[in-house]
Amino acid sequence: MEEVNLVWEGIKFMFLGMGTVLVFLVVMILAMNLQRIIIHKYFPEKKITIIQQQGDEKARLNKIAAITAAIIHHKQVNG
Amino acid sequence: MKKLLLNIFALAFLLLAPQAMASAAHEPVVTEANEEVYHAKPMGQMVSDFLKRTGVYALIYPDPKEKGVHGEEISDFNKSGGRVIMILVTFVLFYLAIAKGFEPLLLLPIAFGGLLANIPVAAIAGPDGFLGIIYNMGITTGLFPILIFMGVGAMTDFGPLLANPKTALLGGAAQFGIFGTLVGAVMLSEYTPIVDFTLKQASAIAIIGGADGPTSIYVATALAPELLGAIAVASYSYMALVPIIQPPIMRALTTEAERKIKMSTLRPVSRLEKLVFPIMALTLSILFIPDSTPLIGAFMFGNFLKESGVVERLNDTLQNALINIVTILLGLGVGSKLASEQFLVPETLAIIVLGLIAFSAGTAAGVIMAKIMNFFSKQKINPLIGSAGVSAVPMAARVSHKVGTESDPTNMLMMHAMGPNVSGVIGSAVAAGVLLSIFS
Repeated sequence: MEEVNLVWEGIKFMFLGMGTVLVFLVVMILAMNLQRIIIHKYFPEKKITIIQQQGDEKARLNKIAAITAAIIHHKQVNG
Repeated sequence: MKKLLLNIFALAFLLLAPQAMASAAHEPVVTEANEEVYHAKPMGQMVSDFLKRTGVYALIYPDPKEKGVHGEEISDFNKSGGRVIMILVTFVLFYLAIAKGFEPLLLLPIAFGGLLANIPVAAIAGPDGFLGIIYNMGITTGLFPILIFMGVGAMTDFGPLLANPKTALLGGAAQFGIFGTLVGAVMLSEYTPIVDFTLKQASAIAIIGGADGPTSIYVATALAPELLGAIAVASYSYMALVPIIQPPIMRALTTEAERKIKMSTLRPVSRLEKLVFPIMALTLSILFIPDSTPLIGAFMFGNFLKESGVVERLNDTLQNALINIVTILLGLGVGSKLASEQFLVPETLAIIVLGLIAFSAGTAAGVIMAKIMNFFSKQKINPLIGSAGVSAVPMAARVSHKVGTESDPTNMLMMHAMGPNVSGVIGSAVAAGVLLSIFS
């Protein structure tokens, strides 16, 4: 059986391993940047609109009035 | 007559002993015949037989015929005093988990599994005991670490990483802990007479430097199952000791001015980016290193379910019910490897020392990488977040934050440190894939 220098093998593992991890992550970083550019250019996030609520102002007030009435009624009934 | 009776009971004793079950293939006939013929026993004989099946007797007079899980010989010490020592060790682990709060979620099941595994006579960790069954079902097959990874994926938010992608490099640098320790472990076995690790064993030990419990277990199961107990215990202990081990190293490697570096607020990340990322990262790992895809695939599956936003129930199950169940089973299964004949060996001590080196080297490499990046880049990063590159989510990130606030209480590093932290998980899965691919 041939004599294997384990330490040298270990160092080879280290270069292969660290190399792979770093290359993988660098490619992942590039992909993340690319992804950001593409998504922001072609699929920008829609701004959430708050306009519709204003039209419902009256309905909202009605709802509050109803809830208030219910609470008052509840308090009166239960003493 | 007396001699004959004694022989019969000795035979019955042997057949009853669970160890005999291993070689049961050609014996059931004999057992059945024996069971049918029940010999009346004098009371004295019954009592003395029963006493021989007590724990006290088994601990004082070890059964010479008792074999290990794989049918190997066990020394008398490991059947008697060793078991008592291991039971005391599990008590120390209980103390650490309950009083000191060291990863109690895992340490308690592991320690209790260890307690059960060291019980004489009952052979709970044997192939037919319930710990043995749990072990064979989920750990020998590598299933439990994968399920844990799904849960961890569902709990992970890649937002901070997507907002500042270059911090992923820190998570990569911290994997130096793994490979540095690999070299250390083979040097130790090459140049000292204490231990003799093979390359496979050295690789399994080194992965502790990734500070990622499931990954350590997954790799150890594949490469060195005989060391699993020590590796799992070391790995989870160091994860629990993150707040103690890391800060001195971080302070030693940074200046006060560096620790005060403020990082700009992270940009908001759109939902679509978060949704695309798991698929993108999985695709890369498929292309680069398919050996890591069991881990990364499960991780990204969990994350994808979460980010999809349409399967809240599944996401909830992954994050809670599933990961809790698997944690219990994984802990007990790992604990079964705390049996004295497997744990009380010189290798364990070496693993614990090497694990500490691995962990410290990973922390240091992350911090140094951050300093190197600052050298080349105009947008400075605080080197303290480099230490979060060892996985240990989210403990390592919290440590970065805490050490940062010591120098400047207004410096909020938590979210910045989450980037290297989650990329550390990916990094150690890739490193695990490399090691597995070398030996496949």
